[in-house]
Amino acid sequence: MRRYELDEFAGLDSLIHRWEPRCKLVGLLSLIFAFAWVENLRLVPLMLGVTAALYLLSRLPLTFLTTRLQYPGLFILAVVGLLPFLSGSTVIWQWGMLSLRQEGIEAMLLIAGRFLAIVVLSLILFGTTPFLNTVRALQSLGLPVILADMLLLSYRYLFEIAAMVTTMQQAMQLRGFRQTGRFPFLPSGKTLRQLAALVGTLLIRSYEQSERLYKAMRLRGYGRRPVGPQSVLPQHALTWRWHLLGLLLSGLTAAGFVLAELQYIS
Amino acid sequence: MHLPDGLLPAPVCIAGFAVTGLTTWYSLKQINRFSNPTESIPKASLLTAAFFVASSIHIPIPPASVHLILNGLMGTLLGYYAFPAVLIGLFLQAVVFGHGGLTTLGVNAAMMGIPALLAYHLFGWSQRATRHWSTNWSLGSSAFLAGAVGLGLAVLVFLTLTLSFLPAGLDANLERAAILGLALAHIPLMLIEGAFTAILVLFLNRVKPQLLKQT
Repeated sequence: MRRYELDEFAGLDSLIHRWEPRCKLVGLLSLIFAFAWVENLRLVPLMLGVTAALYLLSRLPLTFLTTRLQYPGLFILAVVGLLPFLSGSTVIWQWGMLSLRQEGIEAMLLIAGRFLAIVVLSLILFGTTPFLNTVRALQSLGLPVILADMLLLSYRYLFEIAAMVTTMQQAMQLRGFRQTGRFPFLPSGKTLRQLAALVGTLLIRSYEQSERLYKAMRLRGYGRRPVGPQSVLPQHALTWRWHLLGLLLSGLTAAGFVLAELQYIS
Repeated sequence: MHLPDGLLPAPVCIAGFAVTGLTTWYSLKQINRFSNPTESIPKASLLTAAFFVASSIHIPIPPASVHLILNGLMGTLLGYYAFPAVLIGLFLQAVVFGHGGLTTLGVNAAMMGIPALLAYHLFGWSQRATRHWSTNWSLGSSAFLAGAVGLGLAVLVFLTLTLSFLPAGLDANLERAAILGLALAHIPLMLIEGAFTAILVLFLNRVKPQLLKQT
């Protein structure tokens, strides 16, 4: 499993980095959901323009975007790539059985545009705040304690467990394990048993680690007194007037997109 | 099997969040009835991370390979913690790896989490119904059912949503044929997921039976 650090560029200095996490969460999430409403193709360039401006403001490097867009980009391409050939009735180009349809192209551009804008905004949201501060902000906005604790602990141990499974798979291969099947379209029973043992061992190790972790947490007072949600202000934070101005601007932009969309529908 | 951002219309995404919100509330209500709800949090969290990693392991089906969803197994092992675990797993997949999406998080969580909760109940009911059988047969058949039904329901919702909301002006007959064809293609995968869940539960019963105690 390739390691993608969310906090890799959370220490940079930009207007978006300095934005208070709760205001940033509400502001950018309202934009993300407003973009999900867009059905009018004419709004797509505007949506991508707002996204590009925010990305430039965040000063996140372009490599951060390109490395993280590879997998989801290929996935969305696989999902919508056939639409121009299958969807719609207005044929704009034909070659034998193959015909390119206008409605399909428009649907593909709309979905791809919405996808790109939403994914880039998500990267700005989670890439410019340390993950711990994001979870604290979510908690202070009403995320239940059980979910917040599970989220932090899962994130904390995710890469450790991924490294553990890589080591276990290497050990299996060194002992002669080969993922092969004898019959086409049928998994081998032996391989299934060996992989079940691998996953089972992984679950047992994680379970035993969780027991040790719980004891250590109890010794440090976990579960005895409720800890109130504390949102943390970023380093060199702006004044509250700027935090609220950012929230207002993003809220107005989101409302503008929703209103334009409603007008388009009516 | 995640629906990415931008694919579904906003009202569907909002409906997904409403269903996920209600199911999360119900799950947390059940969890808070336990004598010490915080006791199982580290176990549920680390198993969430382990499931997340385990679902990336590929099972060879020559000439291709598939990866498992494991939502039925999550229900079997985590009980009411399964839904929060699915929600958190999908959130991390969306923000860390870009699989799935933020706007489709509600739909994806409902699609995989509700079958996980059903699998948890199915596992319990099936074990009670087959209590006269030998332990291995009872446990194995119940786990098979939980694994296969967990995946089957998730696939059904996924295909219906994808093909209903994706294409603009796609031929209705083609759409129906695609749903039927893809659903049939997933039946062998349901059997593999069920068999894998059964083998795994029997392995855990031999090596660490405490893990199978209902949360």
